[in-house]
Amino acid sequence: MSDGQMIKTTCKSCHGGCGVLVTVSGGAITQIEGNPDSFTKGTMCAKGLASIQEVYNPNRLRYPLKRKGERGEDQWERISWGEALNTITQNMRDAVAQFGPNAVCIGQGTGRGYNIHTMRLASSIGTGNLMGPGHVCYISRLMTYAITVGGRLMPDFHGWGGEFPKTIIAWARQLETNNPENEMGVWFLSALEKAKNFIIVDPRATRLASRANLWLRIRPGTDAALALGMMNVIINEGLYDQEFVHHWTFGFDQLRDRVQSYPPHRVAEITWVPEEKIIKAARILATETPAAFMIGEPLEASNNCTQNNRAVICLLAITGNIERPGGMVNWKVTEAGDLEEFGREIRVPKESRGGMAGGDRYKLGVLSRIAHPDTIFKQLREDDPKRVRVMHLQGTNPILSYANSKAVFAGLLKVGFLSVADLYMSPTARYADVVLPVAHWLESDGIWDEHARFYFSAMVKAVEPPGEARSDYWIYNELGKRIAPQYWFENVEMIFDYQLRKANITWEEFKKKGLLARTGKDQPYYKYKSDYWRDGGGFRTPTGKVELFCTTLEKFGYDPLPSYVEPNESPYSTPELFKEYPFILSTGLRTLYFFHTQYRQNAWLRERQPYPLVQIHPDTAQRLGIQDGDWVWIETPRGRIKQKAWLFAGIDPRVVITQHAWWYPEKPDHGLWESNANVLTTSDLPCDPATGATTFRALLCRIYKVEEGNG
Amino acid sequence: MVKKTIFFDKDKCIGCCACIIACKMKHNSPPHPTIPPQGEPTGMNLISVYHFGPAFSEDRVIQFFQPLSCMHCLDAPCINVCPTNAIYADSETGAVLVNQKRCIGCKVCIWACPYGALHLDSKGRMEKCDMCIDRIKKGKLTACEATCVARAIFVGTPEEVSQIQAKKAMAKIKDESPG
Repeated sequence: MSDGQMIKTTCKSCHGGCGVLVTVSGGAITQIEGNPDSFTKGTMCAKGLASIQEVYNPNRLRYPLKRKGERGEDQWERISWGEALNTITQNMRDAVAQFGPNAVCIGQGTGRGYNIHTMRLASSIGTGNLMGPGHVCYISRLMTYAITVGGRLMPDFHGWGGEFPKTIIAWARQLETNNPENEMGVWFLSALEKAKNFIIVDPRATRLASRANLWLRIRPGTDAALALGMMNVIINEGLYDQEFVHHWTFGFDQLRDRVQSYPPHRVAEITWVPEEKIIKAARILATETPAAFMIGEPLEASNNCTQNNRAVICLLAITGNIERPGGMVNWKVTEAGDLEEFGREIRVPKESRGGMAGGDRYKLGVLSRIAHPDTIFKQLREDDPKRVRVMHLQGTNPILSYANSKAVFAGLLKVGFLSVADLYMSPTARYADVVLPVAHWLESDGIWDEHARFYFSAMVKAVEPPGEARSDYWIYNELGKRIAPQYWFENVEMIFDYQLRKANITWEEFKKKGLLARTGKDQPYYKYKSDYWRDGGGFRTPTGKVELFCTTLEKFGYDPLPSYVEPNESPYSTPELFKEYPFILSTGLRTLYFFHTQYRQNAWLRERQPYPLVQIHPDTAQRLGIQDGDWVWIETPRGRIKQKAWLFAGIDPRVVITQHAWWYPEKPDHGLWESNANVLTTSDLPCDPATGATTFRALLCRIYKVEEGNG
Repeated sequence: MVKKTIFFDKDKCIGCCACIIACKMKHNSPPHPTIPPQGEPTGMNLISVYHFGPAFSEDRVIQFFQPLSCMHCLDAPCINVCPTNAIYADSETGAVLVNQKRCIGCKVCIWACPYGALHLDSKGRMEKCDMCIDRIKKGKLTACEATCVARAIFVGTPEEVSQIQAKKAMAKIKDESPG
């Protein structure tokens, strides 16, 4: 790499994949900036721009390590890659021989572009125990789209069909700063300039609240009721898209009957949203079309996960927004085809899939091929004979990220052999038997295809990784080569060539090109009117229609119509508990500077926000003698944590919203239980019957100031 | 080149603070010296973002974010008070720049700045936004403008800024006019 060279790559600091320009001089990065000639138009967020502090962080892992002493003692011995990989795969082989393939668990955290490699490794071992947080984050939404519409829908902010959204609704989503799953904030903000209406459904006045013409301050966990109430208005006032509903939906009559149980006045009582606002929002959504829906993860992090999503998808269907320009579209992928095939193409034996953790209960989880993490850790805690014996985790911190951290921790300690691949000695890595050092995205080649959308781009190595750190792709391939060589490749470049083969382009060529895309006139709309999904038209569902009445859910024995259930803990479902824990707790306060458990050791980001924050309404704070910046205890029946009070008038005084995934890299014990919001959450049943999702956004808590004598 | 100014549009800013990190990247700014667990970080950035609200008026949410850096004033008080002529306006762009070799760290410029946009660096020399002068002279956007997802930062001539504001005012009048 020559001096002053400019490298075009793709950011992997979150899901989004912004276009990046990196300047490299003398083998070192001197600048990171957005690429103006990319789909993200040169924009980047704080996390991506601060990546230089990751690349040159002195605390990065450099060599494979083997545990010395007891688990968690943080005593390590440097070993070679050969020894590390062979130790891991030998443990996997032994577990498979003794207990069957499901004794091996392959896990990753939130999607990072290598999802399909994680899935391929699990599939090639033959295990059904592929672990990820998908049940509470995005995969459940995809599955609900699949069974209702036949494929995922994304808001069309591009105008390729001649129209931009007239109405945009941000339902529990702040795409402007977080969670770019397929859509990017820059596209949304540009479409917002053109939109006539902007509706926010959120317990909190979000950063864009002053620009919304309607903010529905919803009680956390009641989203399905709100959507059902809006459908009640739209159907009873005859405002739905009659042509679309008549020709292209299944079960409208049953849906019409169902929504009669949700008149606006009753929904107002459930959701705490005033009746007139529910009616107004419903009328706007039905008449001011096309409408683009941005749907957020809180709908999934709920014991009513499937029906929350079903209700909102039915709402966007009956208002005629499916496949309409400026509405909700299933993008046609590029000529490279569906890259996710790389993960799915190896068949997992039927007995493995049936026997995956939670597979007997959560049928949508089985369809997604991702096992139920809460069940995996429960089986471990209870010494269940079906439990996982060997676990390989890549880019994930279950101790911080899954519900009920202390229970997860107890389960993790019982794993027979644990290997963890990460950039740092994370809280989870510390308890591993073997730790693998991972290269940063600026040190890796890769194909960035976090989500099937209308383009994917090249991640191009800018600098060498520290020590012997290697890319995630390399690690997966090397493990794969040792455990199931028939499914893996001589080197990573050959994997990329294989993934790109349908586009008739090699990795070397793609790297220079930077991306493959299908935009403008090449993106078809109204695909259900053609033979695109089905001869003679229709959707890829069992009935060929958008299933307002879902035949798949009926077959599995779940409610085929959208419905509302009260959160497990709430003023109404557990009034006795509410007397002791008188606030509704959401752990959904996202930050600008961290992505789940990441970046707490990034000096530029950490100085922006050194401590966790909990939003408390000023009236509530005053009553409890809490001032802005005070450390506050937040307590549930599971335990208590402390965060700093952020007095914020943009929430209901009865609601408290904490940040999640906090740990302290600078503390000897990582401060694992001090501020970690999942100390407060629970994986106790009942969870969502179809996906196993648990509630992270609607629990009960009490709060009080940290003072001498209670610390 | 016509003299340029920086415009921060509080009606568009979402307070994501990417501009702050883009600025640190561009200027290779060291992390602030104090980080946890010793205490709250101390230190200033060349650009800041302030959060106002939310407050509520009837059914409206009043909340906005205001980025702020050196405004590159056309008649800059800091230039006028500097005893060593360390601060000067770039003749080509109008950017208000500092020659740190001449700076004696007397801080009078900090007193004079109506925006609190100046501070001393770790060596006690005045440090401020330099309008990414090397980028501007190459025809590129400043680091903060380039990265801004909300398109809330604009570096251009005062006339161009007037036009942006006039367009917004007209759109508002149109929205509020009957029919």
